[in-house]
Amino acid sequence: MHQRELRRWRELLRQRNATRGLLVAFEGPDGSGKTTQRKLFKSWLKQQGRHVVVTKWNSSALIKPIVKVRKQARALSPEEFCLLHAADFRHRVETEVLPTLWHGGTVIADRYLFTGLARDAARGLDFDWILHAYAPILWPDLVFYFAVSPHTSAMRIAATREPSYYEAGQDITGMDNPLDSYTQFTSRVIREYESLALVFQFVTIDAERTIDEQHQQVRQHFAQAQRRSWLDFNIEPLVEWLSQHAQGSQLG
Amino acid sequence: MRAKRGRLIAVDGSTAQVIPAAKDVVRALAAAKIPRGVSTWDASGIFTDLFAANGVMRDPSARTLTLLYAADLAFRLRWQIRPALEEQRFVIAAPYVETAKALGMAAGLPRKWLDELFRFAPRADDSYLVTESATHAPARARTYLDCFSATLQGGSGVIPPGDMRARSLAYLASLEKRRRIVRLQSAADVVLGP
Repeated sequence: MHQRELRRWRELLRQRNATRGLLVAFEGPDGSGKTTQRKLFKSWLKQQGRHVVVTKWNSSALIKPIVKVRKQARALSPEEFCLLHAADFRHRVETEVLPTLWHGGTVIADRYLFTGLARDAARGLDFDWILHAYAPILWPDLVFYFAVSPHTSAMRIAATREPSYYEAGQDITGMDNPLDSYTQFTSRVIREYESLALVFQFVTIDAERTIDEQHQQVRQHFAQAQRRSWLDFNIEPLVEWLSQHAQGSQLG
Repeated sequence: MRAKRGRLIAVDGSTAQVIPAAKDVVRALAAAKIPRGVSTWDASGIFTDLFAANGVMRDPSARTLTLLYAADLAFRLRWQIRPALEEQRFVIAAPYVETAKALGMAAGLPRKWLDELFRFAPRADDSYLVTESATHAPARARTYLDCFSATLQGGSGVIPPGDMRARSLAYLASLEKRRRIVRLQSAADVVLGP
């Protein structure tokens, strides 16, 4: 890319950083209650008159059906699992997340990139390779991590349903019993999450506390949070997106 | 001691003529009575499913398409390429890694990202380049090249088709210059020995 063009994008990003929306990610193992908290958080933001968009994991209209069929057939290797979820993630970032942020809306991600990193690393893939598959990374302004023990996670899941094949990590553990497999696999996922929480400075919420206590904590942290400068943290994905849409109508 | 294995032959290029060229190689191997296997694009059906569901794919970016190509290649390695190599067959992979890299770079994706993404794929024993100067008739089947170009040109991509072609050819020519890939003039060019 020419230096002049790059300078132009940087200036555009500098101007837009003041009016852009915030990206907030909710992360945690299954059964941690993050979806409940995400819904409460969304209602609270909407009461304040904010425009809020929720993006869920593996929900791209383009790619979700492809993944769903292959999960049902139990036909995915760890590499294919990772790459398809990375494609789904990339498509949502480009078509849902960035356009919303650009126009000032708040995006709540019910699971974000860290879900892919934790699960794929728990499946034994090389961490650097996974990170590259998800690159260039659009870093959120804030990440809430809902921490529970593997035991609590398994208990909560078992109370409502049987975990699915990939959710239970049966492709990796080789165990026949979904719940036993889930407990073992979730322990690995939680270990990965805990490392990520340290490295990427998540706000950790004790998800064993009451729903209301957690929600109050979320509000408090959000109120104190500062937006991350796009120029300092997200220049690469934004310039790529801008250059793709230079003649499009999404920039407004 | 290293176990005996087959031979992985990559046939790449930024034209639809990769497929008929690969068919010629298969015929040459058959004539020489060499056990062989073939692995072609979209063996996983990922792209077929996407087209079936969406008609023309106008949304995905070059990066999304490249990730999907990589997912398809992971499938091909698992079900077609590695099993055939273990049976000591020659495997013709058409296209393989360099086609995706050439098109990705043509669309502006960083070389480093492409190299790292495709790190999971083993290096081919022999890599051949098919160019437009080959004498094959154009392939009738839909190829990754068609999919990639049509999607980017139909969507919001801003790189003119002529530039895309020139950039992908420049990348492949750089591989040829460094002897990482050999231009395939006819199936007789393929090394049939171990």
